[in-house]
Amino acid sequence: RSDDDDDDDRGKKMPVRVVESNAAPQVSGNDPGNRSPLPPSSLLAAGQAFSGTQNVSNQQKEEAWRVNVQIQGVDLEHGYLCGTMEALNVPMADTPVITFWEGEIVDGKNYTFYTGKWEATREDDMRHWSKFPSFAPLQGQVESDGGRQLDLSNYPYIFMRWKEQYFVNVGTDCGLTIAGFYYVCFSCSDGSISGFYYDPNSSPFQKLELKTVNEGKSGFSFSSYELQ
Amino acid sequence: MPTSSSSSSSFSSAASSSGNRQADVFSRLASSDPEVKLKALREVKNQIIGNRTKKLSFLKLGAVPAIASALSDSECNSILVQSAAALGSFACGFEAGVQAVLDAGVFPLLLRLLTSSDEKVVDAGARSLRMIFQSNQAPKYDFLQEKNMKFLFSLLNSENENVSGLGASIIAHACGTTVQQQVLCDAGVLEKLVILLDGSLSQREACLESLATVLKNNPEAVSRFVGLEAGRYLSSVTELTKDRYPRTRLLSCLCLVVIYNTSPSYFLNMGTKSSLVTTLLELLNDHGQSGDDAALGLSSLIAEKEDLQKLAYEANAIKNIVDILKTGSELHPKRLQGLFLSLAELCSKLEDCRCSFLSLEMLDLLVNALRHKNADVRTAACICFRNAARSVKVAVLGALSNIVLDFSSPKSTFIEYGGIKQLIELSKSMDPNARCSALRALRNLMFLADNKRKELFYSEVKAQGFVSLISDPEPTVQEQALALLRNLVDGCINSIEFVFDEDGLILDTVGKQLRKSPQAHMAIQGMYVLTNVASGTELHKEAVMQQLFPQPQAESNNFMLKFLQSHESQLRSATVWTIINLISPSSPGAHDRHVKLRDEGIIPQLKNMVNDACLDVKIRIRTVLSQSMSFGDN
Repeated sequence: RSDDDDDDDRGKKMPVRVVESNAAPQVSGNDPGNRSPLPPSSLLAAGQAFSGTQNVSNQQKEEAWRVNVQIQGVDLEHGYLCGTMEALNVPMADTPVITFWEGEIVDGKNYTFYTGKWEATREDDMRHWSKFPSFAPLQGQVESDGGRQLDLSNYPYIFMRWKEQYFVNVGTDCGLTIAGFYYVCFSCSDGSISGFYYDPNSSPFQKLELKTVNEGKSGFSFSSYELQ
Repeated sequence: MPTSSSSSSSFSSAASSSGNRQADVFSRLASSDPEVKLKALREVKNQIIGNRTKKLSFLKLGAVPAIASALSDSECNSILVQSAAALGSFACGFEAGVQAVLDAGVFPLLLRLLTSSDEKVVDAGARSLRMIFQSNQAPKYDFLQEKNMKFLFSLLNSENENVSGLGASIIAHACGTTVQQQVLCDAGVLEKLVILLDGSLSQREACLESLATVLKNNPEAVSRFVGLEAGRYLSSVTELTKDRYPRTRLLSCLCLVVIYNTSPSYFLNMGTKSSLVTTLLELLNDHGQSGDDAALGLSSLIAEKEDLQKLAYEANAIKNIVDILKTGSELHPKRLQGLFLSLAELCSKLEDCRCSFLSLEMLDLLVNALRHKNADVRTAACICFRNAARSVKVAVLGALSNIVLDFSSPKSTFIEYGGIKQLIELSKSMDPNARCSALRALRNLMFLADNKRKELFYSEVKAQGFVSLISDPEPTVQEQALALLRNLVDGCINSIEFVFDEDGLILDTVGKQLRKSPQAHMAIQGMYVLTNVASGTELHKEAVMQQLFPQPQAESNNFMLKFLQSHESQLRSATVWTIINLISPSSPGAHDRHVKLRDEGIIPQLKNMVNDACLDVKIRIRTVLSQSMSFGDN
């Protein structure tokens, strides 16, 4: 660290609040009715693209196919986002398979860590969330009261559930299933995504791992649209 | 009393040529024989009633001053009645007629009739005055003068329904400033008006119109109205939305819309909200003025209210409105404006609405509306398109079943119809709102657009065109232009080349605008343009450095430092992203650029911001600083 740091008070206009990233952030007060949505995160925005793999293991073998994801829209107010997922080199299909998915953002306002549908029990929820290292500081609170006192708006990870809704370019007879959903963890700092697929009728814990994609450029770029 | 200028009566000499039937009537109008005069008056009146063409032709021949003379010179009641009626007809729904009538000094003459002992004369005078007061050209009534208020109340108190209706009309077509509303309420106008609710059809309608003017945006007045007889009159107005006369239903709906927009707490009952929405939707089918007014009323009601938009959507609003638009008949500009604004509101927040709308093959209609001669219609269509264009599901569903539109496909119908060209035309409009809306629509169109669409767009605008847009005098337009540019240069690396066209003209202009201390919203878009350009090659990054630190430059001109200290977290964020891209380790010149940024005070400034209040900004700064450390920053 530089010797200059302590002497340099130029431009100290920002309120200084030190946040320990390892402690579980808390909301003051216990009022669930007035929760706010999560603040925007640059890399979880419409137009951002991610690429990586999903490993698909079953009894016979382990295989992985390449996956590209693009976020199509984010509505933080309603804890909603959506996008497309493209799976490449899928054995059963002769073309890449594209699906459209919709996501729920765990923000304590619109959605909580408890899924409450899609045949996922609370135990299933805890089993999956606890596989993300960044969930560890929150685990205790989520187990005890569902995480109602957590202040997720200051946490550099965003937890979501992504559910594929339909196939975009193939028929439902393509031999693939979209019956389940993903538990997803997004890292705000580098935009990396990991996820676990849950479907009572499929092998458990099929893992999705994605990183941001910059279309061969040397840096990040951003588009935007406006409706109002 | 407000007066308009009087003029002496005379008519064109061309009118006296014989053999011309119309001209002939003029000489008879001027006749000293009352019987002849009366017959001529009746003739004119009968010809012009409901006939705009006849009104215009008689007007041109100078009929109005001629009839005004008859009105002022005569003492015979029948002549007074017929001339008043004829003049009223000229003014009815015909702006040029209102103008002519007022110019001819008819106003005071008609007022005089109100004090006549003959009921028919009073009636004719009141009716004609009501026609004049339907127009914006009607003299502005000065409510603040006590004698005027007295006169107004004498009208309201009259047993004659046309006279009391006139009183209400005068109120209805007033400006409705808060001061006027206050003065009227204090004088007890609400108590007088509500009596008319129980009167004849004409009185009821006049009352409803005037209530809307008095209550609009005035919570005190609304509270007073609702308080009258413990809410009895609010219930009456609500009941009237189910009246058998469409105009009554419409006016009561508009009244409720005013009350709802002013003080929504009186409408806690979902049922009332729901029936208000459905009644207005039904009224849209009325072919006359009620339908026109219903369209604007609906857009006003659902504006910014997601719950009402949902109600409207569930009541099939989108399909109904689109069906009306597709009937192919020439719709009144006010109706078109109202319908497009309603669609725009419906598509503003609800994804389902957008999908429904876009699935109905509306685009050719929208494109036509963008070319309409009426500016309000063009603006409304633009807003509608802009809101619908970013349907997130549709972009993906283009490959499925019956959704025709697919913005990401080169086969898009909208492009085929030259929609982009139309929007570019609109972006040059005189009206800044239209420019802004057009650019917003284009921005949304360029979002994640493929190269083909970007090339198509750019070829219509070119570098100079962009420079004009970015240098627009209105900050909101500049902001949209920069946002559009931002989307244009995002995507594949080749897209960045647009800003280098014509020797880097566009990039220079962006830099120039940023150096001018712009407002935050504009600066955000400008910095994202730089961010996107800086994600490219060495040459691109160096070009951005040139814009940030042109030589020679004084320290005080460093806008980056200013932006980093902005209260707007998005601006701080956008600025830090530019830095992240400039020192991205994968490019050879990153180290040298880092040195420059450090020497210019940028990196030290970031060190002060490690605990920025905004999580996103804080995270990005930490990225820069860890990169900085890896360069061996001391």
